[in-house]
Order: sequence, then structure tokens, then C-alpha cells
Amino acid sequence: MAIRGPRLEFAVGAFLLLALASLLVLALASTNRNFGFGGSHYPLVAKFTQLGQLRTNAPVKIGGVVVGQVQKIELDPKTFQSVVTLSIDGRYNTLSADTSAGIFTSGLLGESYIGLSPGGDPESLKPGDEIGFTQPAVDLLQLVGKYMFSSGGKPAGDDAATDAPADPAAPPAPEGQTP
Amino acid sequence: MAFADAIRSIGRGGLFGLTMLRGSAPTRDFLAELVREIYKVGARSLPIIAVGGAFVGLVLTLQGYRTLSTYGAVDALSTLLGLSLYRELAPVLTALLFIGRAGSSIAAELGLMRATDQIKALELMAIDPVAKVVAPRFWAAVLTMPLLAAIFISLAISAGWFQAVQVLGIDNGSFWSGLRGSVDLWDDFGVSMLKSAVFGGIAALVAAYVGFHAEPTIEGTSVATTRAVVNASLLVLVFNFILSALLFR
Amino acid sequence: MTDAAIPAVRLQAARLDRGGRTILSGLDLVVPTGGITAVLGPSGSGKSTLLAALTGELPVASGALEVFGNPIPRSARALLEMRKGLGVLLQGNGLLTDLTVAENVALPLRTHTRLPEPVLQALVRMKLHAVGLLAAADAWPRELSGGMARRVALARALALDPPLMLYDEPLTGLDPIASGVITALIQRLNRTLGLTSIIVSHHVSETLPICDHAVVIANGRIVFAGTPDDLQSTIDPLVRQFLDGQPDGPIPFDAPVRAYGEAAA
Repeated sequence: MAIRGPRLEFAVGAFLLLALASLLVLALASTNRNFGFGGSHYPLVAKFTQLGQLRTNAPVKIGGVVVGQVQKIELDPKTFQSVVTLSIDGRYNTLSADTSAGIFTSGLLGESYIGLSPGGDPESLKPGDEIGFTQPAVDLLQLVGKYMFSSGGKPAGDDAATDAPADPAAPPAPEGQTP
Repeated sequence: MAFADAIRSIGRGGLFGLTMLRGSAPTRDFLAELVREIYKVGARSLPIIAVGGAFVGLVLTLQGYRTLSTYGAVDALSTLLGLSLYRELAPVLTALLFIGRAGSSIAAELGLMRATDQIKALELMAIDPVAKVVAPRFWAAVLTMPLLAAIFISLAISAGWFQAVQVLGIDNGSFWSGLRGSVDLWDDFGVSMLKSAVFGGIAALVAAYVGFHAEPTIEGTSVATTRAVVNASLLVLVFNFILSALLFR
Repeated sequence: MTDAAIPAVRLQAARLDRGGRTILSGLDLVVPTGGITAVLGPSGSGKSTLLAALTGELPVASGALEVFGNPIPRSARALLEMRKGLGVLLQGNGLLTDLTVAENVALPLRTHTRLPEPVLQALVRMKLHAVGLLAAADAWPRELSGGMARRVALARALALDPPLMLYDEPLTGLDPIASGVITALIQRLNRTLGLTSIIVSHHVSETLPICDHAVVIANGRIVFAGTPDDLQSTIDPLVRQFLDGQPDGPIPFDAPVRAYGEAAA
């Protein structure tokens, strides 16, 4: 070992400093900085008939601003509706009781998120309350199919539960899609 | 019988690791050795990691752009860059570069120590050679691997940014907001650092084990160095899959 | 303070096996405390195996082996304690390349004693001075010549003032002057420090003059044990061939027919 003593310590100190600095910069500049502490969250429940691509940890937004995330997705065994538990940041605890929740997609191929639209009710939603007004996810394929074949004689023949067109006489749907 | 032999060598490796852990104590001598090893294992690996990181960032951005633009999804480029780097590429590539640079030198050093009777001298002086020689190298590797991975990622993202924004004309703002929006602090950054630390430990343990048990001849040392790199690299790839399967949901 | 009646080393009908083969058998030997004993013999005769048994690396397959009246322990902790009372000079020197000369010599002191730093440094300087290398205290092992490196290893082996010193081929690879330095040091230190020294070597002419007793190992057993004068005047043909350096005799010039090329011994 040709390097020793003060020179060694300097080299190691410089290396550690550089590395820790880049660690810090990375954490702050390239991540979502979601430290997870310093802020309480409260749960809200929403029931949907169709979830689409929604997954846990999907964002919950009001007007495009993230206010929470999807904590849990379950199925109600009686009504067969999906029960979604939302974890809302404690700062936003004055959501009106008639707030509505809908499942949207960010961009054409983006991920699904839940958008909340506040209403006018002076009463606020309490932790654990259920959001009364919900809108299911929109299935893009069905929508396109509907528009494409609504002018023709054949009805689209789908309901919210199925994905592919069930009518065998209809021309193959994928042709109409843009790549 | 090869299967039984494999099980036995895993067992020997585990016992070796246990002995090493038992002998790790933060005494003044140990810390001095640790600092020296951090220099040898960490600081000296810096150039190859930095250069490697920069070029990986460049090529990832380039190829990502080509593929994403056929789907009109160029906005996702920074997301692609960030997530693939954090989750897989940085821990694994840094580990493989580390094994080539520091792992081989650990194996060679220990093999040489074995060949020049240094290890035997320690044993006969009633000093546990595993605690004295292996432990500092192990902890130095576990400590410096995440740091090296962080440097790899910084340079990769910087190079990727340069390629994306300056050369390919992607919007600067959407680059950073896309990146920030998709990389989670704990789930991606934190896991990346954890993986790197684990890979550092594996690399050092395998290299030290192979070097320590090398034949005390010149040929033995060179065989040990090659075996160390091969075995450590394979183990890192295996554990990468295991960790990814467990940690990413 | 060792009782002169307790021999430094005692072997009784001992057998040493390595790798499934019997290397030495029927060993009956008493090495008296104090004085220098040379263990001589042709290459491959098992001298290093005997040394390995003395350091505790190789357990005795059968028979008894005692060092200062105590059998060599098998448990790791007891073995550690025993080795603190043993100084070994290895063929490869075994100087740690990451430490300077002074730090190498200080190593056993730092690990096994709680001496304050100034005392430790003084002891290290003393040991280095005893081997004539005080000026090289801050050198790195790779900067030393073969003879100097061996002297540093000797200083380190003596760091804890062990009552028993073992030398494994101490003169290998040294020029005549360095060789003379080492033999002079072994003799001088043995006398001034009141040690018992066992030298394993095949350099007969350099080793015999300084030792008080001589043992010759050949053909897997001890073929001679006595004083150097008795050794010089022996008429045993095997020992004679070894002493005189005859190319042919009981150990033949033509290599014996053996299964070469198979798993090497």
C-alpha cells in the first residue's frame, strides 16, 4: 500500500463526501420525495362498478393535484361492486360530503387514477366515510366500438362487464384502431 | 455427488461468513483497516463506475427514445430511464463492475497472502485471520456499494438528461417531472440502495472465501481470482432475481 | 521460569498422518529445555510435518506429544492460548504487506496485550534493535531484501518473548552473509533470552555449528538423535549420504518407479 496516513484519510473522506452528496442529490432531485412521515392520512371509501386499470398506490387527485393514493381494493361479496379504500393526506380534510369520485386515465395509454370533484355541501367527509357519488372507469375499446357501429343497424351489444364485442357478425374491431 | 459437494461448499461459505461476522468488532485497529479497505475497494472503483454509469445512461436514453417514439410515448423516456436504472440496472451493473475491479483484487490479495504465509503467520500468532483480513473488506464492500451505485445513477441520469434534452430535444421540464413522478423514494431509491449493499456483501464474501482458501501457489492465486469473479457474478444475478421478486410488488 | 527437568518437547511413539498417508511414525524424542536443537533431513522427509504437529496445526494420529509437559490442545480457544507462548519463523516470512515493519512487529503486542502506546513502541524498537533493523522501522515489507525481511519476521516472532522458538527453513534463499546474520542472531538470542529453539533445516553445514542437539529424519522416522559431534562421526550409511552430500547411496540417484501423472501426493 503506497498510500497511507493523512493522504489515505483524505482520499477516503473525499470519496465518502462525493458519494453521500450524490446520494442526497439523487434522493431530492430524481425521486418523488415521498418520505412517508410528517403527515397523517385518513381513509375514505368509494364503491365502483368498474375499476378498469386502477391498481393500489394509484394517485388520488383533485383538479390534477395529488392528494392521496389508493390503499386497498376489495370486492363486496354481496353487491359485487369494487370497494376502494383511499388514503387522503390529512391536510385536505374539508372535502364536502357530496364529493364525487371517478376513475380516469392520464393520457391515452397512461395509468389510471381517481379524480375527486368537490361539491357544495358545507358538511365534510369524515375519516372512514363513503363517497356517495362514483363514476366507473371508461373502457376505451367499448367507446370506440360504440361510436364506430352506432351509425350502423347493429347495436354495440356490450354492457359494462365485457371487453370484446360479442356480436360475431360485426366486422373485426381491431382494424379501426390506430397503431 | 456434485450436488452434495455444492451443498457442502454453501455450508462452508456460510460458516466462513458467520466467523467473519463474529470477528467484526469496532475496535480502533479494525476501523483503521476499514478506512484502508474503503479506499482500496470503493475509491479505487470510482473511475470505472463513473464512466460506466455515464455510458449506460447515454445508451439507455438513445435506445429508449427510438423504441418509445414508435408508440408516440416519448414523454415516458425519463420514467423509463429512472425506473430501469434504480430497480435493476444500477445495482446489477455496478455490482458486476465492482466484482471485476474490487472482487478480483480481494481474491488476488487473499490468495497472495495465503501463498506468502501471511495467513499462516496470523494463525500462529493466535490472531484470527478471518476477523483480521476478511471482515474489514466485507464491511467496506457493504458500505461502499450503495455509494457507488448512487454515483452510477447520478452519472447515468445526468448523461441521459444531456442526451434527451440537449441532443434529442425533449422538454426539460417534462423530463424532470416525469422522472420525479415515477421514482418512489423508498420503493425504488431505497430498494436500490438495499440491493446494492446486499450485492456488495455477496461480492466481498465470495471473493474473500475463494481467495482465502486458494492453493498456496502462484497458480492457485490466479485460479482463485477467476473463480471469484465468476461465482460472485452468478450469485449476484441469482440474488437480484430473488430480491426483485420479493421487494417489488 | 521453566523447570529444567521438563523437556521442551516430548514425543512418545507418535505417528503423524497427512492426507490419509502416514508421513512419520514411531517418533520417540525428547528435546531438552534451553539450547538449540536442529531437525535435519532430506527434502520431503517430513520435517515440516513435525513442525506442523508442534504448532498444533496437525494433531497426532497416535502416541503422545507434549510441549513443556502439556499435550497440544485441540479446542480452538486453548490452541490460541498455547500459540501465544510459541514463536514461529515461517519460510515465507509472512509479513503483512499492508503494514510497515514496525506495525508488523507491533501486531502481536497490540492484539494480545494492553500495553500503553509508548511502552508498546519502545518494545517494538527494542525488538528491531535486537535484530539490527531499527533504521528500517518505517519501511514497507516489499522494500526489504530477503535477509532483512526474515529478520523482521524474527523480531515479530519474538515480540511476546515466547519460551519456545520454531524456525522453518530459516536459511532458504539467503546469500552467505545474510545466512550468517540469521544463524548468529538465532544463537545470540537463544542465549540472551534463555529460549529453547528448534531449527528445521537441510542446510547442515550452517546449522550444525550453532546447535546443541541434532535430530535427523529420513524414511518416515527419526534415524539419529544426539550431539553434533556424534552426528559428524556417525557411520549410518543413510545419514552419512545426507551429511556428505553423496548423489547416490541409500537414497538412490535414479528415481524409484512410481505411478506418476496420477493424483499427485
